[in-house]
Amino acid sequence: MSRTGHTRAGDGPAGDDPRPQAVWAQATDGFNRWIAGDPAGLDDLVAVMTPVLWHVVRAYRLSDSAAEDVIQNTWLALVRRRSAILDPVAVGGWLTTTARREAWRTAGGKSTPTPVEDDELAHALPQQRSAEDSVVQRDEGDRLWAAVDGLPERCRRLLRVVAFENRPDYRELATELGMPVGSIGPTRGRCLAKLRVALIEAGGI
Amino acid sequence: MTELSREALLEIVRDVWERHDPVPDHLVATMQAAAALAATDLDLELMELVERSTELAGARGSTSYTLRFVHGDTDLLLRIAVDNGRSRVDGWIVPAEPMTIRALPGETPAAHEAVTTDSGRFSLTGLPVGLMRLQLEPHDTARPAFATPTFEI
Repeated sequence: MSRTGHTRAGDGPAGDDPRPQAVWAQATDGFNRWIAGDPAGLDDLVAVMTPVLWHVVRAYRLSDSAAEDVIQNTWLALVRRRSAILDPVAVGGWLTTTARREAWRTAGGKSTPTPVEDDELAHALPQQRSAEDSVVQRDEGDRLWAAVDGLPERCRRLLRVVAFENRPDYRELATELGMPVGSIGPTRGRCLAKLRVALIEAGGI
Repeated sequence: MTELSREALLEIVRDVWERHDPVPDHLVATMQAAAALAATDLDLELMELVERSTELAGARGSTSYTLRFVHGDTDLLLRIAVDNGRSRVDGWIVPAEPMTIRALPGETPAAHEAVTTDSGRFSLTGLPVGLMRLQLEPHDTARPAFATPTFEI
């Protein structure tokens, strides 16, 4: 299975790395400094990666407190198993994978993937609408949000994970989403196409 | 209209989620504290938990229980009482020895400390509930500090 096989017009030079590389480089740098004995390195690692973990974990529809528990357990696992991380460059991926696994397990008991047509799941749960949105932001912001929010659940989750992660493990993602391994790439392509159409229809772009 | 690239679309997805489901304000600081606490666990000599009693819900929803830790020749007995979302720790060190006891709760490090009495007793009050660890610092500086493992009140 190729993780990089889907080039199409418009792909930037970043290829399959959706997240700006700075985050992952900072994570590696913090980890290295911490291992070398500087406690501030751990602080920096936590500061740069916690927001990423939040979005990955929340893609599984966990409550605030359940998401926090998952993230905290992820950090405790990192501290306790730091010697198991042989390649510091991979620390960001180790963290997101660990968090995703735990999030899936936490959410999993009840949301075992069932073969429902994903389009039928659209709008399954209403998202809380943005009371906080100022009137100024409304126009463009709401249109973009409506387009993302209106995607089928499977697409919402997949795109959120892919957007915040660095090279997610497709095999695990496939298991978690109840999809055949080989279909993640094409599904991501279809989800992006749906988003593109939704954005155009919404006049968001 | 130009066709949006995958990069541009994923950028939109990130922006939208960052605005509509933002990271809670306290989250980074809380996680830094939890990670730092776990990391110091690695460096300090740890006491061993040898006994734990679950007790008795008291009147009006208060609960208390005891924990016993040992480290070398030192025994530490703790009675922990939770009432109204705050906790109180009464401790007894045997053999009695002058020490400073610091509570290291997850979110407010080093805010609570006590010194043992001649009989080896101490108490810490008004502690938050949650993850907690006690660090024991003998006043005899030839003796290294040690700590209980993290436990949850």
